[in-house]
Amino acid sequence: MDLAKKQAATQSQKLMVFVLTMALYGLATLFTELIPKFQVGIVEFSVEYFLFIPLTLAMLFDPLSAALGAATGELVFSEIMLGQFGGLGELEKFLTVTIGVYVAGRLVRDPKNRAMVGVAAIVGTGLQLAMGAVVDICKVQFAVEDFEAVAGLPESVFATEGFAFANDLLFSGILFCMLPTMYLVPKLYGKIEPLLGMRPRDGQTSLGGLSPKMILACVIGFVAAVASALIADGGLPLIDWEADWAESGAAFSIGMVVAAALAVAAILVIKIKARSGESVEQKA
Amino acid sequence: MTVNMKKKLSESILDKFSIDFLRSQVLKNAYGNDDTVIAKLDPRVLLAWYLVVGLVPWFVSDLWFLGACFLLVLVTTKLARVAGLVLALFAVGVFSQTGYLFIVALFFGGDVSTAAPLLVMTLKVATCSLASVTVFSGLDPDRLSNGLMWYGCPERLSFSISYAYRVLPMLMEEFQNILLSYRLRGNPPAHETWTGKVRYLVYQVKIIMQAFYPLMLNTAKRSRTTVEALEIKGYRYAAVDKQVKRMKLRTLQVTTNDFLFLALSLLWISLAMLGSALF
Repeated sequence: MDLAKKQAATQSQKLMVFVLTMALYGLATLFTELIPKFQVGIVEFSVEYFLFIPLTLAMLFDPLSAALGAATGELVFSEIMLGQFGGLGELEKFLTVTIGVYVAGRLVRDPKNRAMVGVAAIVGTGLQLAMGAVVDICKVQFAVEDFEAVAGLPESVFATEGFAFANDLLFSGILFCMLPTMYLVPKLYGKIEPLLGMRPRDGQTSLGGLSPKMILACVIGFVAAVASALIADGGLPLIDWEADWAESGAAFSIGMVVAAALAVAAILVIKIKARSGESVEQKA
Repeated sequence: MTVNMKKKLSESILDKFSIDFLRSQVLKNAYGNDDTVIAKLDPRVLLAWYLVVGLVPWFVSDLWFLGACFLLVLVTTKLARVAGLVLALFAVGVFSQTGYLFIVALFFGGDVSTAAPLLVMTLKVATCSLASVTVFSGLDPDRLSNGLMWYGCPERLSFSISYAYRVLPMLMEEFQNILLSYRLRGNPPAHETWTGKVRYLVYQVKIIMQAFYPLMLNTAKRSRTTVEALEIKGYRYAAVDKQVKRMKLRTLQVTTNDFLFLALSLLWISLAMLGSALF
């Protein structure tokens, strides 16, 4: 009885959802990273988004665990595992995916309602793509010095980003996010929940729609994503490195070289001593 | 003749992209190179090194410095013996980040002057991604996650890394099996004509999407087993316990080799700074 009243799942069930989403979405992003994209003219047909996997799971289970699991899965499988970790810049992708999936998951009250599922899926995808496009535009605008001065660059950035957004939303968004989600959610509903020992989501167990608090959290997350992307791309030269050694000039650099060389020499001496000590011990 | 060559080329590329090939490359990348110089370094030292080499180039536009950093990470990548697939992905990634912008800028009436700032940016991107390739592909996953944990990354992340490397081969195999069983039972449309080819492609994509249905159910069962096994070992309490963390991280040790690596990197970078100051 108590379980039925509780809205959220227990901690270990949340962990199950996290692990499930991470493994599945990680596998899918690994594929997308490896599948070659084929281009017809300027339209790119890429299987960019297997986003339907976390979307489906977020609609059936706890949305936050699914969203975090998806973002972590992408980070671990396709970035860290393939050695493509971009440092702070990854935070941007992490946050946008989390927000998109989470919002979509919260929107669905009744997973059996296909229309509701489809709308939520396309809203979640659109949100994620739009945030990505804004971040990208900001990034290039700040990263390249004299952005306006470079002939043809501003227009080209807006054109490519705007076109990529529309293309992704209409092509990948509908074909690879909305349709599979609409197919999978009603089919999995009531079948996959017992495997994790849960009740299917219904009017009582759903978390309710969008609340102002949640929207605020999403906006903060988005601002953090933009900020992290900009800092990662060096848009804000926090530290003026160039001035540092340009003023003190050669003397400073020579000092550094000497210090580093001394350090190397000292460490080598220590190593050789340690090794000869070992061999003496072995002989004795 | 060109048609023949094209056919051969596409065939060899398709050969490369079989699931088995991917699996072996990923496994090789994860576990195949733990006897290299890089893999033997302490993960904490290597992560600190990455933080410097992967971050500082963004803030510097001095060509001497950037060139030196690039050469440094080139050498470390060579030392780490990174799998070929990862390097190929790196090349494609760098091009898609900046190279295509250059082409589009040309299209909109830019000229060679557009190239200069983009070239600097490309150098920065390449340096940072090679640094990350060195660190994240060069280390084996357990050492990497221990290193991250020492720096206070959430336990969830280091658990995810260790888990991901172990479960990925299994998941790939399962996915392949499901796909094969779909293919066995399915009846693909004829694909001699052009419309047939399109229909065939749609059919393939549809099967891949549908294959996720059984995969989701299977993985759900597996993740429940995993979490229950973790719970038996008291995972959720251990994850936040300081004593457990200390026990876990006791294997990490900084040796003279680590200092030597850091000192050599510093020497090389400061030489580059000297070069830029003198000339």
